[in-house]
Amino acid sequence: MKRIFSSFWRNKSRWLIYSALILITILNLLPIALTVIVSFKSYEDVIRTPPVLFPCDTPTQSFDLSSCRWSLEGYERVLVPKPSSTSPLGFDLTGPMVTVYGGNTLLYATISSIIVVLLAATSGYAFSRYRFRGHKALLTAIIAITGVPLLTNLLALYQMGITMRTLGLPYDDRFFIIIVYIGFFLPLSVWIAKGFFDAIPRDLEDAALIDGCSPLEALFYIIIPLTRPAMIAIFMLTFVSVWNEFLAGYLLISKNSNKPLMFGFYDFLGQNLINLQGVAAVSLVIALPVIILFLFFRRSFFTAMVEGSVKG
Amino acid sequence: MKGWADFVSKLHAMKKQNWFRNSLPFWLILPTVTILLVVQVYPAFYTVWLSMQERGPEGWEFIGLKNFERLFNLGQFGESIGLTIVFLVGHILLTMVGGFFTAFLLNQKIHFSGFFITLLFIPWVLSQIIVGFMFRLLVAPDYGVFSGILINPSLFPPNGLSVLTAVPPRPWFSDFPFPPSAAMILLILASTWRALPFATLLILSAMQMIPAEVIESSRIDGANGWQIIRHITVPLVLPTLVVAIFNTILNGVNGVGLVLSLTDGGPGTATQIISYLLYSIGWSRIQFGRAAALALLVAVVNWILIMGTLGITKVEERDSQS
Repeated sequence: MKRIFSSFWRNKSRWLIYSALILITILNLLPIALTVIVSFKSYEDVIRTPPVLFPCDTPTQSFDLSSCRWSLEGYERVLVPKPSSTSPLGFDLTGPMVTVYGGNTLLYATISSIIVVLLAATSGYAFSRYRFRGHKALLTAIIAITGVPLLTNLLALYQMGITMRTLGLPYDDRFFIIIVYIGFFLPLSVWIAKGFFDAIPRDLEDAALIDGCSPLEALFYIIIPLTRPAMIAIFMLTFVSVWNEFLAGYLLISKNSNKPLMFGFYDFLGQNLINLQGVAAVSLVIALPVIILFLFFRRSFFTAMVEGSVKG
Repeated sequence: MKGWADFVSKLHAMKKQNWFRNSLPFWLILPTVTILLVVQVYPAFYTVWLSMQERGPEGWEFIGLKNFERLFNLGQFGESIGLTIVFLVGHILLTMVGGFFTAFLLNQKIHFSGFFITLLFIPWVLSQIIVGFMFRLLVAPDYGVFSGILINPSLFPPNGLSVLTAVPPRPWFSDFPFPPSAAMILLILASTWRALPFATLLILSAMQMIPAEVIESSRIDGANGWQIIRHITVPLVLPTLVVAIFNTILNGVNGVGLVLSLTDGGPGTATQIISYLLYSIGWSRIQFGRAAALALLVAVVNWILIMGTLGITKVEERDSQS
């Protein structure tokens, strides 16, 4: 045993590490890869028993690459393309995922992320640069809030929505859910922003303040540009969290036309339990935008994750 | 009115610039605090109030602590706590061991580590209900890719195994749901799959903080690989490990979406963990008072965990300062 370990260290048998990592990565991506395969199968191949991994078998051979029966049936079921002369692609996507839910989620995620970044920057600045009465208590309260799950607040928020509707107060599903999302993802962002602002030396803004710049100008022209990676991280983290959030959007929004993408997915899942290729396609269509965002901004995600969790 | 005039003249007397500067932090924080009061603080108090109410014919009626009493008398409540414990222990053990192992591999001086990290992290950006469906797809009765292997009687005696419908095994200790049912194991695997990137990243960042000299000098002193892990890496990573455990528990306790799309609490009540029970009491049975009582219990547990995390990170900061 000892010898194995010492040779492992001294000879730096990298291949062992590499092969372990490659194995872990493959295992890790397996569920996604299998979903991709199922999404490109036709219904006849999905419901075969015993199940086959690739729809590539012929009566004589178990695997023949030339006779694979890949199909876009699942994607058609989700996106419902209809021929159209006006669109540049030659067809319009008319599925509710695209025309209703996708737009809603994009709206909610974008607006709430922008507001979260703004509020996290301003309050993070206040917490980082000023000492006022209740400074520490308020910071601790904000972090304590971070841990209270949305689930336990949903009962009250649900009643709040009902009360506002029955009392005839100016109420809009979309406005309400955006406020809820902001309130839910803001505390962590305040902590992340404060952490980054603390790391910026005060000398920079002091010089600007002496030159007659106001504290707000210092925040927007000096601090925020310097911590742009952190701001992007907060935006991305909130955007992905709102995009992936299911329960609040499902329960708090009353009008079907205002419901988000994840409700669309759940609804579709309920209606297509047998059309697994369609559900696989819709889950990939929904997941693809955030996966692409993640691939482009992975560094931001990593900083936000580490900052946010070690602090809270 | 005189008081108001006084106040206004006093305001004017203040140097405008100075006044603005002094109250600036207040204005900067005000919007944040307002939103948090509406979305987080008010609901917390409302939940406390709601937990002592019952929906009667003429609106809410005060019934004291009866909701808690009924909750404790509900057979599913005790069962659900047992299931939650089994779920959390399995989930945390797998996540921490897997996370530590992966972080350890990534922390070696290897090429392409950025490439591996990127690929390993994709599950983390997927939504819970989508992850639930992806894992359901693997074992869906008859059609799942693994169903063909799992229903083979010679591998899984006596009759093969259909994960989503299998009857839970007989518990070893009276009512405690151990060994877990096949569906529970699948739930643990799915939730570990999604939580693993997060744990790995936290542990990796802690490992990278360990100064290279410490490891180098202990190696010169003759420590072998195992001793270095046992006596240097693990103790130095431990505080982060605890933070990661708390975070994992929080996410694990509160994940309803995964259960909803993976097993829907079933078969029977085999995967009805506490968050799913809360959801089903509240929105399937529409018993808001009782759900609020349960929500309160869950929130208290969460709150204790958060305070624990805060305490530990504070200890860590103090250590690094001294």
